Amino acid sequence: MRDGITIGKMLVLAGLLLMQGCAAPQPSPDLLAPTEAQTKLRSFQSRTFDVADRKVAMRGVIAALQDLGFIIERANEPLGLVTAARFAEPDNRSVVGVTVTVRPQADGRTMVRANAIFNNTPIDDPKVYQNFFATLARSLFINKEE
Amino acid sequence: MPVPRTPYSGFLPTGFMLAVCFLLQGCPSPYEMRHENQWDSREQIGMAEASQVKLRAAQSRVFDTSDSRRILVAVVSTMQDLNFKVQVLDEELGVVSGKLLMSFERPYYPDLYYNLYDDQSLLLFSKNYRMWGPFWHRSDLVRLTVTVRKRNEKQSVVRASLQFYLQAVENPEPYQRFFQTIEKSLFLEGHPVQGPG
Amino acid sequence: MQPTEFFELTAESPANKAMQSRLFETGNEKELLSASAAVLQDLGFQVDDIVREVGMVRAVKERSAREHGQDISHFFVALFTLGYVGIPVDLQQKITAVLVARPTDYAGMRSEVRVTFYRVVWKGEGHFERNQIPPGEQRMEMIYDPVIYQQFFAKLSKAVFLEAHTL
Repeated sequence: MRDGITIGKMLVLAGLLLMQGCAAPQPSPDLLAPTEAQTKLRSFQSRTFDVADRKVAMRGVIAALQDLGFIIERANEPLGLVTAARFAEPDNRSVVGVTVTVRPQADGRTMVRANAIFNNTPIDDPKVYQNFFATLARSLFINKEE
Repeated sequence: MPVPRTPYSGFLPTGFMLAVCFLLQGCPSPYEMRHENQWDSREQIGMAEASQVKLRAAQSRVFDTSDSRRILVAVVSTMQDLNFKVQVLDEELGVVSGKLLMSFERPYYPDLYYNLYDDQSLLLFSKNYRMWGPFWHRSDLVRLTVTVRKRNEKQSVVRASLQFYLQAVENPEPYQRFFQTIEKSLFLEGHPVQGPG
Repeated sequence: MQPTEFFELTAESPANKAMQSRLFETGNEKELLSASAAVLQDLGFQVDDIVREVGMVRAVKERSAREHGQDISHFFVALFTLGYVGIPVDLQQKITAVLVARPTDYAGMRSEVRVTFYRVVWKGEGHFERNQIPPGEQRMEMIYDPVIYQQFFAKLSKAVFLEAHTL
């Protein structure tokens, strides 16, 4: 009789373990809470420019993206949003996507933030964002000169 | 004297049939045959001058009004009557554009993405080496773009261009009917555009 | 190419920019955009999206991408493999033009119009022995043929009654 109970317990245990695979994964409480690593990432994804007008900044972003060979997908002026993508030539199956937001600051300057994705993985190499902002600065500066 | 029949003469038609069957495997399917064929598909990027002139005549009308809003309202209402999904509408630039899906092909496997297909997104393209699903979406797509441009103080040129089954519609009849409907809503007559395009 | 390289200007960037852009002696951006939409319509495109505040117009056209050469290859491959192999051929393409117009000076006397053409091509179905290859394999191509850009700007120049200056 004891064997019966032990086997029974084992079966229940096995059953419970198996059932684990049937339950839907639950989101972690931190899913919508950015971690410190993510917050640190934000610092080199953003840069502030001496541009007062959001429209001017957006045009500069679009011009810079076109210079870099990107195709503009979506642009929303009231929200200061530009989405662009380019195919990783010569490998035309990989795509680099970038989302740029433009936000006017209280001090009359504009903050530009860029998120780059390479085939569904976010790019967190700071050099990438440095390069982008360098091109953007050139594009905005050229505009200012004329 | 009759020609003697050899023992193998019966195989000839059968052999021929078998050869044809093998050959037919190399022939395009009926769906493929409905696609225009050319030597270089890049020819489709621009458009030959001759086609442009022909299309321009069929697709354009001059209306004796400079009120582009009135024209656009009539165009949008006609597109709605035709069940087009109006996607672009810009009064200041004088552009209306919409699309419609007409199912000519019935896919032989259930296709969940047919209606959900976002054909604007580039980011979707790299996710799969082969893009499953909405293959027939493109040939089923009917697109209509109407532009309204001021010709002078009192006149506007309205041009409607229709895309149907992967081709620009060159037959003037659909455009004639379309402009007849617009004319009725506007109580104006549309004249063909004279002179150099 | 590494991701960092995508955000750097390359040796080809200035040449591409020169090919894809023209300057017009006008600050009337609305007229440039309206005329651009009309020119694209003339070239068989359908306007897909307009964001006037940033001067963007996108136009597309879906066309057949079938080629005689590929049909011939398909036929001979099927013949020599006795029907075992059916290579998928290019079937459909979507050609897109994305155009952006912007002022180049604060006086509002000059504007730059930049247009990018690219296309995505899809293959039809095929088979390998008994396995069916489903339709839809895709590839994309940026269009670097200067003729199409010249054709576009020649028409745009005529439509706005202004000369299109190269950069």
